This record gives sequence, C-alpha cells and structure tokens, in this order.
Amino acid sequence: MSDIVLELQNVSRIFGEGDTQVKALDDVSFRIKRGEFVLIVGSSGSGKSTLLNMIGLLDKPTFGKVILDGKETTTLNDGQVSQYRNEKLGFVFQFANLLPDLTVLENVMLPQQIQGSSEDIRQNATDLLIKVGLEDQINKRSNKISGGQAQRAAIARGLVNRPTVVLADEPTGNLDSVTAGKVVKLAKTMAKELNQTFIIVTHDRHQFPDVDRVITIIDGKAFDGKQTTMEISA
Amino acid sequence: MDYRVNLAARMLANKRGSLIGAVLAVSIGILVIHVNFVIFQGIYDAIIRDMTDYRFGDIFVSHEEEATIERSHVVYTNWFERVPLVQSATPRLTGSADIEFRSMGEFREEFDVPVVGVEPVSDIQASKIHTTISDGQYVYARNSIVVGETVAQDLGGVRVGDNLKLIMTDQGGDENSKRFVVTGISKTAGGQGFDTSVIVHIDTLRSLVDRPNESNSIFVKLNEKNPEAALEIRKQFLAAYANDDLKAQTIEEAAEQTLKGFRSGIAMINLIGYFGMGSSAFAIVTIQMMLVNSKTREIGVMRAIGAKRKDILMVFILQGMIIGAIGAGAGTGIGLAYTTYAKETNMQFQGSLALEVNYNWSKIAETALLAFFLAILAAIYPSYRATKLQPVEAMRNV
Repeated sequence: MSDIVLELQNVSRIFGEGDTQVKALDDVSFRIKRGEFVLIVGSSGSGKSTLLNMIGLLDKPTFGKVILDGKETTTLNDGQVSQYRNEKLGFVFQFANLLPDLTVLENVMLPQQIQGSSEDIRQNATDLLIKVGLEDQINKRSNKISGGQAQRAAIARGLVNRPTVVLADEPTGNLDSVTAGKVVKLAKTMAKELNQTFIIVTHDRHQFPDVDRVITIIDGKAFDGKQTTMEISA
Repeated sequence: MDYRVNLAARMLANKRGSLIGAVLAVSIGILVIHVNFVIFQGIYDAIIRDMTDYRFGDIFVSHEEEATIERSHVVYTNWFERVPLVQSATPRLTGSADIEFRSMGEFREEFDVPVVGVEPVSDIQASKIHTTISDGQYVYARNSIVVGETVAQDLGGVRVGDNLKLIMTDQGGDENSKRFVVTGISKTAGGQGFDTSVIVHIDTLRSLVDRPNESNSIFVKLNEKNPEAALEIRKQFLAAYANDDLKAQTIEEAAEQTLKGFRSGIAMINLIGYFGMGSSAFAIVTIQMMLVNSKTREIGVMRAIGAKRKDILMVFILQGMIIGAIGAGAGTGIGLAYTTYAKETNMQFQGSLALEVNYNWSKIAETALLAFFLAILAAIYPSYRATKLQPVEAMRNV
C-alpha cells in the first residue's frame, strides 16, 4: 500500500470565460501521506474552499489531476465519483450539517447505508458515537443537540466508513473557543487512534497549534510547510 | 428499513403542512370521483331500478312489428312462470283516453291521457307500481281506476272516491266511454312511474278499445337482479315462440333511449372528476418542488457523503409514493364513508328518486390506484430536478 493517500498534480481551476475569467486555483501540487494531520489555511477568497472542493471530488479541476488513494479521479463519471467520495472521503462541515430529519445515530449510519455495507452498521455508528462522547445523544433528533455535540457527531459520521481522508471545512468556525478546543482535541485524538488522515481547511491557524503540516493558500497558489501566512507573505 | 424510505418518510413527517396539502390534493381528487359516482351513477341506477320495477321488468316482451300481441298472454305468462328464476309475468295493455271529471260543480277535461291496463293479481306480484299508491289502493275491480298524481292535479284535484269518465276510441273507430271510481293516487319520486297516466283493469281497457285478449307487452320479473339469467331466459323464450314475431328486451335495451343520454352525461361528469384528479397532480408537483427547494442543503450533504443521483431520485419518488398511498387511502376511506352514508340513508335530493347506491369495488380500486400512480408520476419531475443539483452548488447553501 502506497504511503501517499492524496496527490494534486498541477491543479488549476478557472471560473468564467474571457474577460470575466477568474483563476481560483493556480497550478497547485502537493502530496499528503497516510495519517498526516494537515491544515490548509488562507484568507477569505484565497481559493481554499475551491481547493477543498477539488480534494473532496465535489468539483473537477480545469487542468491537472487529483489522485486519491492511487486513483486518478478527474476521469471518473458522476456515479463513480459518488461511490469514491463515499468510500474514500469523510466530510466534516462548518455547521456540522447533520440531516435534521434523522436522529444522531441515523446520521452517523448514513454513509455506510449509502455504501450498502454488510457490516453491523448500527453497531459501528454506536461505537463511534461512544468514542466521541455522545452515547447519551444517540436517539435524539440531530437538530435538538448543541453545536459542539453536532460537530462531534459530524466527526463520527466522517469517520464511520473508515475513509482514506477526512476533510473538515472550518470545523470550529461556528463554535465558541472552549467547544472549538474540544472538537480540535477530539479530531486529533481520532486521527492518532485510527491513523486517519485529516485535512482541515480553516482561516484561523491558531485553533490548530499542533499539526503535521500547513498548506497555505494565497491567491490560488499553495505554499507547503509549517510557515504561517504572515511569513509567506513576507 | 431502507434508509431512503426512512429519510423520505421523515422529511415528509417534518414538513406536515406540505404533507397534508399533498395528501388533501390526492384525497379530494378521489372524493370528487366517489361523490360523482354516488350521485350520478346512483341516479342512473335508480332510474333503471324504477323502470324495471314499474315499466319494463327484467324482460319486456312486445310484438316485433304490431302495436299489440294478438295471441292470449296466458300462453306466454305460463311459459315464463315455469322458469324457476322468474318471479312473475304479467300482461299490460296501453292506450290513451280523454277524461272528464266534475268536482264541486266544476267540469274538467283532459285529453290524450295515457291509460295502462293491468291484471291486478299478477301485476302486484311482478311489478312494484302498486307500492306507489300514496293514497287509497291499487286497481282491484273492473270499474276501479288509479290516477297518476300529475293527472289528478291537472284535473283540479282528483281524490280517492271521486268518479271519472274515460272516453276511448276502439280499433273500429267507435267511441266508447266508461265511468270509474278512483281507488288510488299513484305518485313516484322522480316520475318514473305512472304519474302522468291512469291505471285500470286490463279487461276493462280491452273492452273499451275492443281488443279482447290482446296485450301490448308482457312484463317479466326475475326473483333477483341477474342480467345474465335475463339474457338466457330471453333467448330460450324467443326460441320457444320463434314464429310469433315477438321481441324480448332486457331493461337496458327497453329503456335504451332514456338511458343513452344519461350515460353520456355520466361520462362527461366522470371526465370532469378525472380532470379534477389530474389537477391534483399539479398541486403535488408544486408541493414537491417546494420540498426539493427546502431540502437543497440536505441533498448537497447527501451527495457529498456519497449518495448517487438515483438515491436522491428514489428519496423523492418514495415521497410521491407515500403521498399517493396516504392520499389514496384517505380519499378512498372518506369516499367509502360518503357512499355508505348515501346508501344507508337512501339519499335523495329534494324529493327526487332515492339514489340506488352500489359499491363498485373494481371502480373504487381503479380510482385509488390511479390516484396513487398519478402522485408518483407527479413526483418524477421534482425528483429529477433534485438529482440535477450539483453537490458543490447545493453546498453553497450550507
């Protein structure tokens, strides 16, 4: 098994045509290893959300390749991309985005149900919810729990399929600093316990003081390393 | 339970307003069909019932070409009464008469009033016209007469016990007259009986028109309504008297002229009902489009975590199925309740004939299934629109 789980090769994303053309990503290349805890930082409009969409197979690059778990994804059709997203990626969104019509447990079960997994889906989801400390909230409607609890449930949902990469988009952006700290700690613990690759997109570098790598996006270009945005700008 | 069924049901349950609206649309479509059926089919069946009971019976025998049957009716009625399924057979003779009536010194006259001659004993067994006597009793003697209510009113208020004079022209062109004692007034709801006629003893009428032993028709009543048996008995009867130039008709054939126009009316009303049901499909499309729009975020999240287009399609089609199933169930339930009420109360409108309400199970099932499939059909376009949402676009709402 290759150590590289995600590779971007000269990825560019251009929106619009002619004079209105905007280059949201400009020749971005990097590799991420299994188990890495990576932060993608950038100011608003820098292109980090576009990059997240590329990595998350939610959008296709205008140029370049996105290779996930050894497979070039830009040539996959819609059904194959959906299946690949389901199997290889876990998503944690800024507002948790649990489905409000389902219970916490049903939300966590959903990725495996979509996959049609033959495993004990309910047990897997319950185990994960216990790990993230939500054993008391399992059967509550997902819109009846707090923001911090919802984000922890979202992390459980992101992990339930044991994906290659978990993508988190501003996972603490909607939380107070204490709760945000708890969520960060949980993500780090899960990453370590499960040797799980985490890619976190954020504008707030300080919420994540201890990460393996930081990729900074400035005007659509990616700068790899542990430098801060200020250092790169300088 | 499949997660898509669960999700579809939960989404609907949490949008109760939309669910109730869509279910109501389906239910009302079905209810319109049921109400139409109960009222218009009920009137149609009531007309057939009354025409069968009063005028034609289950089999109506007359001459193929001539106005009267010359051979004695006894031959035919005896044949029919040997058939186990036949309740009774009775002859009838018709003609028209001028009527003179004097009441409180005032002279009244009516011209060309239809006269029906009946054989009282067998007529009571075969037909139900005797049950329409609202005042007095049925024809029982040679000089007794039952007057239809309309005739009675036209003559200035004929009552039981009054005397009437009938003047008729016989087949030789001679004018004959006879005085009668009014024994009863006949009145039917809906006027399918002899409200505009008078009823006398058939032998008296034969004397007046100089047609001894003749009759116009034989009225045959079966033990119970059985159209197949009526056709078979008719066939055997015509075979038995193949040289008599008779025609034997079922009620539908005998009353064809009256019923033809009514059937067209029912078809038109049903068409309006089905059009109403079709309109409810548009309501479902609108409601489901609103549902899809309100669930853009959820669709985006589902697509992001791996749901395929067909999964999204299935969730919203399933919603259509749920709406269709609940709507069809509720509509059929309410429709059946209305039908039962109409049947149990012998529903009628402002003194018209009582509706003949029947449970047409195949039509009830057909209507429910049609509504169900229409709801699914109506869900297809909104569901398709839902699948067209790109996850990245849907996620913009996140």
